[in-house]
Amino acid sequence: MRVGRLSDVPRSVLIIEDDPRIRRILQMTLQREGLDAVEADSGETGLERLAERDFDVILLDLMLPGKDGFEVCREIRRTSNVPIIMVTARGDSHDVVAGLEAGADDYVSKPFVAKELSARIRALARRTRAPQPRVRIEVGDLEIAPQDGTVTRAGEPVNLTRTEFKLLCELATEPGRVLSREELLERVWGYDYFGDSRLVDVHVRRLRKKVEEDPGHPTVVTTVRGMGYRVPG
Amino acid sequence: MTATRSRPAAPLPADVEPIAAEPPAERRDRTGPLSTLRGRATLAFTVVTLVLSAALAVAVWVAVSQYLLLQRERSTLIQTSNNAAQVQRALGTEGLTVPQLLAQLPRETGSISLYVDDGQWGTTSLLVGRDDIPTGLAETVVEGTPARQRIGVQGTTMMAVGIPLAGLDQAYFEVFPLDELDRTYRVLATVLTLAVVGMGPLSFTVGWWVTGPALRPLQRIATAAEAIAGGDLSARIDPRGDPSLVPIASSFNRTVTDLEARVRADARFAADVSHELRSPLTAMLGAVDLVEATADRLPPDGREGLALLRSEVHRFERLVADLLEISRADAGNADLVVEEIRLAALVEETLARRRLAGRPTARLEVRATAAEVVIHADKRRLERVLSNLMDNADKHGGGLTAVTVARGEDSACVLVDDDGPGIPPEERARIFDRFARGGGSIRTRTEGAGLGLALVARHVQAMGGTVTVGESPSGGARFVVELPLQALS
Repeated sequence: MRVGRLSDVPRSVLIIEDDPRIRRILQMTLQREGLDAVEADSGETGLERLAERDFDVILLDLMLPGKDGFEVCREIRRTSNVPIIMVTARGDSHDVVAGLEAGADDYVSKPFVAKELSARIRALARRTRAPQPRVRIEVGDLEIAPQDGTVTRAGEPVNLTRTEFKLLCELATEPGRVLSREELLERVWGYDYFGDSRLVDVHVRRLRKKVEEDPGHPTVVTTVRGMGYRVPG
Repeated sequence: MTATRSRPAAPLPADVEPIAAEPPAERRDRTGPLSTLRGRATLAFTVVTLVLSAALAVAVWVAVSQYLLLQRERSTLIQTSNNAAQVQRALGTEGLTVPQLLAQLPRETGSISLYVDDGQWGTTSLLVGRDDIPTGLAETVVEGTPARQRIGVQGTTMMAVGIPLAGLDQAYFEVFPLDELDRTYRVLATVLTLAVVGMGPLSFTVGWWVTGPALRPLQRIATAAEAIAGGDLSARIDPRGDPSLVPIASSFNRTVTDLEARVRADARFAADVSHELRSPLTAMLGAVDLVEATADRLPPDGREGLALLRSEVHRFERLVADLLEISRADAGNADLVVEEIRLAALVEETLARRRLAGRPTARLEVRATAAEVVIHADKRRLERVLSNLMDNADKHGGGLTAVTVARGEDSACVLVDDDGPGIPPEERARIFDRFARGGGSIRTRTEGAGLGLALVARHVQAMGGTVTVGESPSGGARFVVELPLQALS
């Protein structure tokens, strides 16, 4: 299992987008921001590029000819935890949720502004906030090492994506405190305002599948109805 | 923080009337039950029944009273004739005086016998004497013709029957009281009147009861038509259980299906167009950003052109986004995510976001009863509704002045007031149409895609609520979004 390099500043982005004009514009914009932007015109090409080298962030259009974005996303997730930003049709609720379920970390909707996109990329690539070095957090039989970016359950490593890991860390570093969806959006995804709370909900669902003994009756990350989520202290 | 929440105990400001005082105008029902079709049908039924029963009562009265009188006359005549014959026979034999003879006659209770012989009168009662028998009647009978006449004796009506006897100037009279008959008449009249009067409420009840089921098909058509007028194009008439409804239901349903297909086609076209516009628009936005990064190398007029391009592309983007959203809303409510939302908190959050984004905000008033009110709505849509209304107040209404959260009987309301010149009553319904920018001169000067309020109306409707516009206390416009407290089915 490969993990994208942990760096505060993302260096490389893979753009999987079939529209050549958008691809070109994105590449130029991201390159201006100092990113190494690599283009791929289909899901298949994108997977090939990803097999050749690592990227810090992947930008994935959901509407692709041939292998569609959801399928590509699932395939990337089988081998990598690299942050994925999907590009969806605006307001297509179904696409957003399906894309997140397939393993995407965040999304932008067309038409989007390049600045919005680079803000998303930077936020995703950011390291988790680790207050003290070498701290280990224990929640039940889970052991979280924020510095190393690893989680073990009864000694067995648990494979989380970068975003799932950040989410778990935010909740676990303040056990007992309820974090609202808005707070989590700000801390994990870097949204100042107007975030989509579905991002949080779907990620919590994904996280539970990996860390809970019975995801139907969560004990690690619990829901506080109408308020948010917490890790019981 | 400029947003404040009123404490539960704080009195309401005088300039804000309670929400219950202003229900949406079109919902106000000014019609009484009698102006409905059912009411009119019932009323007609009642009137016809009353007229018929009155006519029947009169006919019964005439027939029965005539018959009773006839019977009475016949029985009095028979008795008088029999008694006259008996008197005739007795007169031929010796032994009995006339008074004794009269006293022995078999007679109906209360009848009085009189006998006249050559001007000499005998009677069985002191109440009736010769003075009570009219001279005309007495003469006719004495002269040999049986006759009868109604007479009045001390205020009561009686029937006098006279039979001439064989001897000269001899006659037998019998006087029958008619008060028994009068009593019967009175009872009959009372019974008939009561029957007619009682028929009114009875026939109204029966009419109401009968017209209900009879008009139910009409009711179902009306319900379906109302749903369609309200925007629910999936409404159909189910003709099952009512064969009389089949023909009209099928033509109605066919029409609505056609209409629905056309509306869907229009919506799909708009959605397709805006969908297709998204990719070039994304490229344009990106390209503008790229050029802008090198703007300082452009000559002044080039920079001005770029600024213009930039603002127009952004306007275009908002327009396409709105168009996409409204056409998606038209295509159905498949993506409606209903959850429990604390309305006051959401409104406060929306205002806070505007503040963060550097947009003007306004005072928030949360009525005591509405502080904790929880509604079932789609959060994204509701946020959109609120921000569109606030944007509208900024762009067209001279600025947002107040936002109020209130609670109605079984609904919660958000009132958004602005400082503009208000919206004339005749434009209030049209303001929610697509690309409607108030007529007149007020709104045409300002920029606006004209889809913001249409989106508001569409979203509010999807959540089962209503949006209306009225006048704010300061004379500006007041938009009222009313949402049901109960979850949508």
